[in-house]
Amino acid sequence: MNRSLTAILSGALGLALASGVALGQSPTPATPAAPAADATATGQKLYARHCLSCHQSDGYGVPNMQPAIKGGAWVKGDPKALALFVMTGGFDSAGRKEGAASHNVMPAFRQLSDDELAGILSYIREKFGEGAPAVTPGLVAEARATLPAP
Amino acid sequence: MRATCFAKVVRSTPVFPLLMALLVNDAAMAADADGLTLPEGFSATVVQEGQGAGRHLAVAANGDIYLASRDGLLAMRDKDGDGKADETMKFGDVQGTEVRLFKNWLYVSDNVGVYRYKLKKGELAPTSARQVVVDGFPMERQHADKTFALDPKGTVYVNVGAPSNSCQQKDREEGSLGQDPCPILEKYGGVWVFPGNKFNQKATDGRRFATGMRNAVAIEWNGPQKALYAVIHGRDSIDTLFPALYNAEDNATRQAEEFHKITDGGNYGWPYTFFDTKSGHRVLAPEYGGDGKKVPEAGKYPDPLVAFPAHWAPNDLLFYAGKNFPAKYKEGAFIAFHGSWNRAPEPQAGYKVVFQPMKNGKPSGPYEVFVDGFAGEMADNNPRNARYRPVGLAVGPDGSLYVSDSQKGRVWRIRYGAK
Repeated sequence: MNRSLTAILSGALGLALASGVALGQSPTPATPAAPAADATATGQKLYARHCLSCHQSDGYGVPNMQPAIKGGAWVKGDPKALALFVMTGGFDSAGRKEGAASHNVMPAFRQLSDDELAGILSYIREKFGEGAPAVTPGLVAEARATLPAP
Repeated sequence: MRATCFAKVVRSTPVFPLLMALLVNDAAMAADADGLTLPEGFSATVVQEGQGAGRHLAVAANGDIYLASRDGLLAMRDKDGDGKADETMKFGDVQGTEVRLFKNWLYVSDNVGVYRYKLKKGELAPTSARQVVVDGFPMERQHADKTFALDPKGTVYVNVGAPSNSCQQKDREEGSLGQDPCPILEKYGGVWVFPGNKFNQKATDGRRFATGMRNAVAIEWNGPQKALYAVIHGRDSIDTLFPALYNAEDNATRQAEEFHKITDGGNYGWPYTFFDTKSGHRVLAPEYGGDGKKVPEAGKYPDPLVAFPAHWAPNDLLFYAGKNFPAKYKEGAFIAFHGSWNRAPEPQAGYKVVFQPMKNGKPSGPYEVFVDGFAGEMADNNPRNARYRPVGLAVGPDGSLYVSDSQKGRVWRIRYGAK
């Protein structure tokens, strides 16, 4: 129940963000800070739900087990590449055995919606990616469209 | 310490909430070297400050200490009897976890094999060539350390950890169901046995001794009981993989680290089940039709001797037969818990050496925290910020207990009745 609610809420938020209007209001411009703060809060919740136990609350991961994402090139780099990385589980990290720096594999998060992924990616870019710009659901959708059918 | 309240001794003794054990124990704990806390009457000495990411260790009859590490092997000698290493030597070319002494041989392992070096009289580090006991285990990245135990004949019991969390079709992916039967069990997730009088064996020459063990890093031969024992790392992430069934607190607390006597042909239930500390019985894993309540067929898998708290990461097991410690420690088990990562966002836990009283190979009372204080403040609840993480245990010729650390490679000697 929580999950579907979260999806709906984050979807709505994402839509609001993408269209530049506040949810359920006339198209008067919203104060710019409010939606961004909400999106970050939503992203933070989603990060806690899907990512935190491996990459930890400080984004430094766990030595030998899961890599740090704080300051990482993927996090602050090209947002579409980052979206693909997350949706494919680090481009099938499970398939790489030799020379891997971390023991555990990254699962694919393709099951998450564009809005959920946008929330997570925006949060980690702000928190762990030196304030790299937010990611829109539209950009996640564009990245998703380049993947082969599941 | 909410999570630890569920821990209990199963079957052989009544239920003892750990919280009570902790309170009783804490009252008697005294601060010692490095901020460690020990029961009254015990003291710790820093044997060496630390060189690399320590793993298991072994102590020879002459007191020489051998530490396995991810950075290679290290030999240490205390020449003046003050408990501190005066001479240290790196040697060999094996980076791994296990190290054991057997007669005049030093057995070690890495992720793909078990090897041994002959120790000549008087030499600290072996100068002989490395001999292969068994190699050719498949290279894996997850649960790959080949810890092992030796029986009095030198028979080698190798822990072959499963390169998987729960044998899902897609490892660690939300909602992915379990492979049934789990094909991983054909080569992993159990103990493989190799005769002690053969060398240059291949992994495929071994016989599967026991199965259904996700990763039994802490594996030990119990001499008086003539039996193998292990404390097994339980599975991770029931909440993120099956959020409709479990929440973060469930994940942080419910999947026991199981302490078992390992018998020939035994099956300990991974990946199909886990021992649930909340209900106090084994349940079907969510990947295999579990709903948090369904139980496997009665008698199919044994209950653990002790269900330790989730994610504490048991990394070494030792049955105390030394002469230094008081009588209550005789026959009992010490377990080094490396400490959790998968409890986040709940507070991390473990990071301690625990004593489990035993009589005739069975638990005879609640376990007690024996050494604590390794982790320190551990900023941001992240294991990387732990000051120390206990990982290996050994007993010296005088009955001292030695503990190794994986953060800095530090080694401590713990003695009773002497400062």
